[in-house]
Amino acid sequence: MIDIRPVLFVNGFLLLVLAAAMGIPALVDLSAGDVDWKVFAVSSMVTAFSAMALIFGTRSKGRPSLSARQAFMLTTLAWISTAAFAALPFAFSNLHLSPTDAVFEAMSGLTTTGATVIIGLDHAPRGVLIWRALLNWLGGEGIIIMAVAILPLLRIGGMQVFRMETSDKTDTIKPRITQVATSITLVYVVFTVLAALGFWAAGMGRFDAVCHAMAAISTGGFSTSDTKLAHWSTAVQWVAVFAMMVGGSSFVLWTGPWRRGRPRIIDDAQAHWYLMFIGTAAGVMALWQWAVNDMSLGIAVRHATFNVVSTVTTTGFVSTDYGAWGGFAHVVFFILVFIGGCTGSTAGGVKIFRWELLFALAGIHLKRLLHPHGVFVIHYNQRPIAPAILDSVQGFVVMYFFTFALFALALSMVGVDFLTALSGSAAALANAGPGIGEVIGPFGSYRPLPDAAKWILAAEMMLGRLELFTVAVLFSRSYWRE
Amino acid sequence: MIDLRPVLSTIGALVCVLAAAMWLPAVIDFRDGHEEWMVFATSSGLTLFFGLALLLGTRVTNQRRSVRQTYLSATFGLAVPGLFAALPLIYGPLQLSVTDAVFESLAGLTTTSATVIRGLDALPRGLLLWRALLGWMGGIGVVAMAIAVLPELAVGGMQMFRLEVPGPAERATSRGRRIAASILAGYCGATALLALALWVAGMSGFEALVHAMGTISTSGASTSDASIGHFDSAAITVLITFGMILGGMPFMLFFHFLRGNRKIVLRDHQLRWYFALLALGTMGVSAWLVSSRGLAPLDALRHGALTVVSVMTGTGHFTLEYGNWGGMPAAILFFLAFVGGCAGSTSGGIKVFRFQFLFTDALMQIRRLLRPHAVLIAGFNRRPIPEEVLGSVMGFLFVYALAFAMLAMSLAFLGLDFVTAMSGAASALANLGPGLGPEIGPGGSYAGLPDLAKWLLSMGMLVGRLELFTVLVLFVPAFWRQ
Repeated sequence: MIDIRPVLFVNGFLLLVLAAAMGIPALVDLSAGDVDWKVFAVSSMVTAFSAMALIFGTRSKGRPSLSARQAFMLTTLAWISTAAFAALPFAFSNLHLSPTDAVFEAMSGLTTTGATVIIGLDHAPRGVLIWRALLNWLGGEGIIIMAVAILPLLRIGGMQVFRMETSDKTDTIKPRITQVATSITLVYVVFTVLAALGFWAAGMGRFDAVCHAMAAISTGGFSTSDTKLAHWSTAVQWVAVFAMMVGGSSFVLWTGPWRRGRPRIIDDAQAHWYLMFIGTAAGVMALWQWAVNDMSLGIAVRHATFNVVSTVTTTGFVSTDYGAWGGFAHVVFFILVFIGGCTGSTAGGVKIFRWELLFALAGIHLKRLLHPHGVFVIHYNQRPIAPAILDSVQGFVVMYFFTFALFALALSMVGVDFLTALSGSAAALANAGPGIGEVIGPFGSYRPLPDAAKWILAAEMMLGRLELFTVAVLFSRSYWRE
Repeated sequence: MIDLRPVLSTIGALVCVLAAAMWLPAVIDFRDGHEEWMVFATSSGLTLFFGLALLLGTRVTNQRRSVRQTYLSATFGLAVPGLFAALPLIYGPLQLSVTDAVFESLAGLTTTSATVIRGLDALPRGLLLWRALLGWMGGIGVVAMAIAVLPELAVGGMQMFRLEVPGPAERATSRGRRIAASILAGYCGATALLALALWVAGMSGFEALVHAMGTISTSGASTSDASIGHFDSAAITVLITFGMILGGMPFMLFFHFLRGNRKIVLRDHQLRWYFALLALGTMGVSAWLVSSRGLAPLDALRHGALTVVSVMTGTGHFTLEYGNWGGMPAAILFFLAFVGGCAGSTSGGIKVFRFQFLFTDALMQIRRLLRPHAVLIAGFNRRPIPEEVLGSVMGFLFVYALAFAMLAMSLAFLGLDFVTAMSGAASALANLGPGLGPEIGPGGSYAGLPDLAKWLLSMGMLVGRLELFTVLVLFVPAFWRQ
């Protein structure tokens, strides 16, 4: 049997952070004179109490160290428990969300999905708005730390490529996490501040600027308006484009030593593909809008870039109702959701790096057809890729599509229509947010969906966020056998 | 430069076979006193002329083909007869445009049942027989290719199905001949038996023949716009269902079965999955038919089974017009269209075995996460799957997904709506036929699509039928270099 005490111990700390974070909306509401501050204060106390109980109940002597099994359980458990506690303010605030809706909203926030069940955001109390943005932001922070520190060690879906050199060959997780985490958090905070300043300079109010900065850098996509970014000016939208693109890039590459007088991200193969891909997709969409739907060129470029970036980085901001752009836009946005951002970013989806490897794999298969006995090696960032890594990537992509199909079927089984089921499943798995169609389209809401569908989607968001295998491994028999 | 003569002579031989086949509809039309027999006779003469010219003009003594020549023969061996087979459609009473005629004839030869012709019930019998014949010949061609050619070329993991040949080369050819003979006998025998059974069940002799050909070859040729629904007979529905299941099974089993090796049929892993998927899909669709459409359970089972089998094996027969069902059945059918039948059958799609390979490998991944240093090997039919086979399969899957995405986007770009573009692309690549939605759903037709869309879909069918890489390899520069 696995010793779950260290797992609960660390989990307690995460809840403590959440409880502290609840203080912020409480303060905001208090200064705005909203009675909701009590809800946040009480929720904070409940969360803090549970956290303390976990921490003191499971404390053991010495520094806690986690084995791989415990790390798997921790990541899954952490997301579930924080989402459950983060749902408290939603359930008891003036919005009066049902437990299902509250958990959906909290999970959507923490997984940086951005799918919302709340209608009437423009008039919602500020406490709730900042709480949603905070959830995005904390979830984004959590996911970068996980992608950098934990997933590579656990060898999830080819992430071992990104393993830090020093922490090789060890099955316990302890080493440089604090150091790396600190520098990445610093970068994350700096970018958020920059984005907030940018939004403010572009003409947003201070409160909205902070909320949107947190949601954009974390590629979360919660907004303070029902019409999302369409509510604001052109300048604001361009700032959002850059903020989202930063959120979808590898954060590790912004830290660390510069090589040849420039940050490492400029020489990164993944970043190149990322930019190329966004450029192509945005160009095609702009062309379509300009040529077919008679949009003026400037507006077409802005809207195409904005929504393509928002979809590829799985943010979920919307600058205009692209649902009205016709069949081509539907198909393109549906497919873009699967691409995802870079590894080590806050974006979801399959991730560019995996597509790169798959592309190389297909190329090698093609070469091998002509030269059956040739030996071909795949390179990534000038380093050869081991077969074991390719194997992991294959496994991940297969599981990804399998999960997508399974959850789309499950959604359709509880009575969701074909288009909503397909795009909803894709959007939840990639943590993107809006789907396609009447119900959950760009300006739509997840509120009308049946309760069962919301639970299915919430589970799928978590699966997607934790890169599938982290959760799937808990269901394998050998996990529980010693 | 590649020596093109053997390629041309193969194509010539295939074109000659086509010319000979044109006499059958000519004879039928002549007996019916229909003037169209002259069209078939003239087309046959023209086709024969070109066929003989190619065959005799490029005769070489050495019949051994290199790998490159095989690729060229496979691709053009399907495309060139497709053009000649369109002749009777252009000059017949239908007066189809060149685009429509080529679309129709390629759809026939690739065993896709996409059609641009409405009003089948009123058509002369010669044309109906011609459509069925195209599908039937395409079916046997595909089986021959899947058993003899693709495994040798190692396309997309097909190398797992190489015929194990013990002993020297002469025995190999004699064994190859025996296999070819028994498969041809099995194919003809199954068609004849099915035709007989359908005739007993109440079809006229001609209808029985056309449907038997359309069913065993999974090409979905019919004599009525309403397909099997026209007959409204339980016995016929069940017979057709079984025929399609047979058509989606590996035809090598005929060989083993005829040699008395019955156990191998029961032990085949691919077959188990095939039946399991069929059963699951049938259950889902039938349950939906009972609950939403209020059908009696037995009727629901009959219609559900026919629909699911027809979609999964890529046949295209139907009893109920499932194009506007929406929701759960649409999702099930959409995903099953990607799965397809077994390797070495007449059906299209990704094929069951590829999913099996990747799924077992993904399960291995999960175990490997817990035991990073264990040596775990995925197996299929009690044989280990080599690393490069998994790579091939993954490459295939990736290119399939890519082709689907590109085709769907191109179709949408031409103005098709989301459901039509997505299901049309999936349907063409899987050689299925009908899509979803009002326009190209079962009972609909592709006639209303833009011409460019028809050409794209024809390309999709061709590429899907040749397992993508056979065509793709022609575009590698190294292919043309020596």
